[in-house]
Amino acid sequence: MTGKERILARLRGEPTDCLPLMPITMMFAGDLAGVEYKSYATDHRVLAESQLKVAERFGFDYISAISDPAREASDLGAAVEWFDNQPPAIIESQALLHEKQKLNGLALPDPHSPGRMQDRVRAVESLAEKAGRDLIVEGWVEGPCAMAADLRGLNTLMFDFADDAQFVEDLFDYAVRMEIAFARAQVEAGATLIGIGDAAASLVGPRLYNRFVLPYEKRLIAGIRAMGVLVRLHICGNTRRIVKGMGETGAEIIDLDYLTPLSEARAAMPEPQVLLGNIDPVRVLRDGTPESIEAALSECYAQAGRAYITGAGCEIPRGTPLENVEAIARFARERQ
Amino acid sequence: MPDLQKLYDAVLSGDRNTAVAVTQEAIATGGDPLELISKYMVPAMDEVGRLFECEEYFVPELLLSARAMKGSLELLRPLLAARGAQPVGRVVIGTVKGDLHDIGKNLVASLLEGGGFEVIDFGADVAPEKFIAAVQEKGANIVALSALLTVTMPAMRTTIDALKQAGVRERIKVMVGGAPVTEQFAAEIGADGYSDNASAAVTLARRLTATAVRP
Repeated sequence: MTGKERILARLRGEPTDCLPLMPITMMFAGDLAGVEYKSYATDHRVLAESQLKVAERFGFDYISAISDPAREASDLGAAVEWFDNQPPAIIESQALLHEKQKLNGLALPDPHSPGRMQDRVRAVESLAEKAGRDLIVEGWVEGPCAMAADLRGLNTLMFDFADDAQFVEDLFDYAVRMEIAFARAQVEAGATLIGIGDAAASLVGPRLYNRFVLPYEKRLIAGIRAMGVLVRLHICGNTRRIVKGMGETGAEIIDLDYLTPLSEARAAMPEPQVLLGNIDPVRVLRDGTPESIEAALSECYAQAGRAYITGAGCEIPRGTPLENVEAIARFARERQ
Repeated sequence: MPDLQKLYDAVLSGDRNTAVAVTQEAIATGGDPLELISKYMVPAMDEVGRLFECEEYFVPELLLSARAMKGSLELLRPLLAARGAQPVGRVVIGTVKGDLHDIGKNLVASLLEGGGFEVIDFGADVAPEKFIAAVQEKGANIVALSALLTVTMPAMRTTIDALKQAGVRERIKVMVGGAPVTEQFAAEIGADGYSDNASAAVTLARRLTATAVRP
């Protein structure tokens, strides 16, 4: 089976020759290719080459255009701090929507115009052209809560839920409309899966998640699925209290961080919901041994059951020994 | 004198307007600012920390409570200063150089302040020199360092080394935290303490203060 066939079969509940393998790599991929991360995040050719290398080296079943959360915000004119060899970061003290009124009349960015969104679309195009036949090509967008935090400032957004619910709704609505357009551009460029990162959603607890975040995640996911592609929802952090809602979003793949035991996730999201994850990226994957990684993954698989895809809780960290990444690959390849 | 239980309730529920109003009324009627803090606000923020730790409260609720507490503290601080009252300890806190992710640090800073500490918050992306200056010039006795990214964790070591170089390391306690930080890493870089959550960070700071050299 090709990687693409393997992932698609797993999602349809059909037999596979071995476990699908979809760990997130960003800085690890850049380091492996010997490039500085700034160039990885700004030049689609560098990102594509690095992704192809890392997928080939370890036999990953997919390649991804994920790089950092600042692409959309950058194109909207948000202040971003750049580093030579780590991901760019949005400068919260100069948040674009520090003044709420600025949301009124804020135009949606065009993912086809020159900018960082267009660079991601081109990365997808390049990945699809070079390996789209055999591997799943993943585009990437921000989830509504994450995108709102990128524009408003994470700390300020946390107050907005209580202070101005209508503004939060308006901001989430804007984020969803923007990300559906961004996803569409990536699908047209050849993405067969869209990943959604909504890390900020893990901070708000079940009451606010169900009231504010879930409806917009559902709308975003429905919009992307209507384009005929698959969706992976990844929420970094502790999602133990919101996993039930995550299972209602409609995403084919729920990708969990290590803080949420897969046994709890499975209890909240029965099969055939496919779960992905979720060994501790730092303490187990980077700092562990091949033996401890295999043991931790065995536990994940046992808890998740057959509707499972191998991965870490989040990005494979920079500095992870190659033999540890080989261990995660070997685990997937030796099991069905 | 107003019903001070309302101050406790307002901080717990994150109601800044009520917290400020009750504090103003208490001050106007001769209430003891130290008593307001120690009997109502600190217990309320302790309860907020407990609710956060057991996942009844989440980040928005904690920040709202902290905002209510700060609204009240702003009114009480000048009165405390006039009396020459000393804080439990003086903490300088920030995310390390290169790390712009500050929400975890903000939770810790809020709970420390709610726990009676004076908190000098330098915000995000803080150079080691600023921490050194805070120790030398402001008499901070705890330096609290935060990092969310594995790539910025080495800046914790750099900061601790710079504190040594500047000759102030022995005067202070260093505590570290953040998602990828581990107890083992904290020990390796020579930190005095590590906490994996904001509520436990207050307990840690109290323990470290008990053994720290007073400024």
